Amino acid sequence: MDAIVAEDVSRTYDGTVAVDGVSLSVDEGEIFALVGPNGAGKTTLVRALTGTTEYDGRVELFGQPPRELDRERIGLLPQDFTPAERLSARELVAYYGGLYDEARDPEAVLADVGMAAAAAGTYETLSGGQQRRTCVATALVNDPDLLVLDEPTTGVDPAGRRALWALLEDLAAAGTTVFVTTHYMEEAEQLADRVGLLADGQLVAVDAPDALVAEYGGRSVLSVDGIDEGALDGTAVLADLQYPAEFADGRLTVRNVQPEGIADVVDTLAAAGVTYESLTWTEPDLEDVYLELTGQALTSGGEAVVTGSGDSPETGTSARAGTETSTRTDTATDTDTGTGTDTDDRDRPEGRRP
Amino acid sequence: MTRSGRLAAETRAAAKAFLRRRTAVFFTFFFPVIIVVIFGILVGTQPTGGSLFAEPPGWYVPGYLAVVVLFTPLSRVGSEVARHREGNRFEKLATTPLSRAEWLLAQTVVNVVVIGAAGLLLLGLLVATTAASVAVSPALALLVPFVVAGVALFCGIGSLLGTFADSRDGAIAASNSLALPLLFLSETFVPASLLPGWLPTGLSPLTYFARGVRQLTYANAAGASETLLATARGPGVLGPVANLAVLSVLAVVLFAVAARSLPRTD
Repeated sequence: MDAIVAEDVSRTYDGTVAVDGVSLSVDEGEIFALVGPNGAGKTTLVRALTGTTEYDGRVELFGQPPRELDRERIGLLPQDFTPAERLSARELVAYYGGLYDEARDPEAVLADVGMAAAAAGTYETLSGGQQRRTCVATALVNDPDLLVLDEPTTGVDPAGRRALWALLEDLAAAGTTVFVTTHYMEEAEQLADRVGLLADGQLVAVDAPDALVAEYGGRSVLSVDGIDEGALDGTAVLADLQYPAEFADGRLTVRNVQPEGIADVVDTLAAAGVTYESLTWTEPDLEDVYLELTGQALTSGGEAVVTGSGDSPETGTSARAGTETSTRTDTATDTDTGTGTDTDDRDRPEGRRP
Repeated sequence: MTRSGRLAAETRAAAKAFLRRRTAVFFTFFFPVIIVVIFGILVGTQPTGGSLFAEPPGWYVPGYLAVVVLFTPLSRVGSEVARHREGNRFEKLATTPLSRAEWLLAQTVVNVVVIGAAGLLLLGLLVATTAASVAVSPALALLVPFVVAGVALFCGIGSLLGTFADSRDGAIAASNSLALPLLFLSETFVPASLLPGWLPTGLSPLTYFARGVRQLTYANAAGASETLLATARGPGVLGPVANLAVLSVLAVVLFAVAARSLPRTD
């Protein structure tokens, strides 16, 4: 049975269309990530799916309208959720557990999210990442069949994120359906069985991350920088390479090179006497897919940056975005403490940025 | 978890969240002290005239009680609802078994306990520091349902203010703007004889609280003036049980409307 079915779901606020005709389904035990920038409609869609807002269209959770579903079966972490003040993490989890017929041991839930050691701290005194992990625990405490997390890792340090991903993978393996929204592409790519890309309230693509990258991500690129142009016989080198390539402004760009082919390129350059300063290889990822389909790149803060290339969601065509990495210059701000900084190029192959 | 279990969990959390807010607790209990000190001691009452308060001290006891029954639930629940909205807590609660009515009931229980304690403190201060006396009789036990009904009613109104105000500050400002006229136009501190005849004091729910409590605490007290007794017990005047019934019906209606109006998200 599908855990979630949405058909032609729309929601309009005062004439502004927040969600526009979204249709999707999520299997039981699947991890589904909804990806898009701030304002794309992720939270509104979550609210429609959980029955906490009015909407047009049809939504069913385990075959029932959201508001008729046994509330023991769903766990929700809303976006920008702040629980009651002056309560410790332990008390908060126990409080939410107390609202259900059957709840897990709060201590075990806190341990699952890495909060066992800090459980006695009142919510206000916790770091941003600890607060978010406590909030995630409140969604887990009833051991739900469907877990809906709206941007659960915002403000969580990289180690905390990976711990949460592992936890969600374990839950899904045990049969829990996980619906998560995020603006972190690498999170969706690493965590989700399938990804839905949302832009301007419309779902522009849904598929497994690998399938989306294969279909829309374009080709891998090998960039050779710092070439001495005076010493380069560009025509000869380009002819010797076994891959499509172009040379401009001291950079040789070789496309569609797989890792095992890098040595061939290096050998070809050496044979031609070409010297260079650096050589970087990048493979396409979901960011490339999103850029391709929407013409927008996402900053680590979740804002969309329009590149002027790519197609609007309405067209549905797939012209390749022109500029590969020029918009990815953002740096995330990590609000968690003590576990290092968090930058946008985590988990990305070296040399992603020029 | 049964309904009582959910209520207990919500009530415990709400009580802890309030009791650990030390400033709020302090002023909740300090407020009645200020009222008694200013109006009961500094200004005083002079039944022979010449004072702002011209009635016997015991006549004002319902007014003092009305202050805590009115102000605290209005501002506390109003700001709590606004706080819940700002933190998206109702969105989460909407996916739990806790209903909106149960949530509001838990808030009301906490307020009943807090205001009951503040009311006892206030009564003790009045008797100890002013010439007010309270008629002690079995009927005085009706004070408890009066306080419960009054608190529930103003929790409902406070909840509505918090639901429709655009911010916590807005909810508090709205509650103050509503509470002040209610306080002085509901036969609490100002007798109906001093108010314009056209003023429909019967539209204020606080009027039924003040009238009923006055009948319980003052009408049988020693030294009560015959004139005022007539207004409290005369022909056509509702008795304490009838006043309690009106107050209770209003409380149930407003509580239901408020619970129904609590938002899920937006």
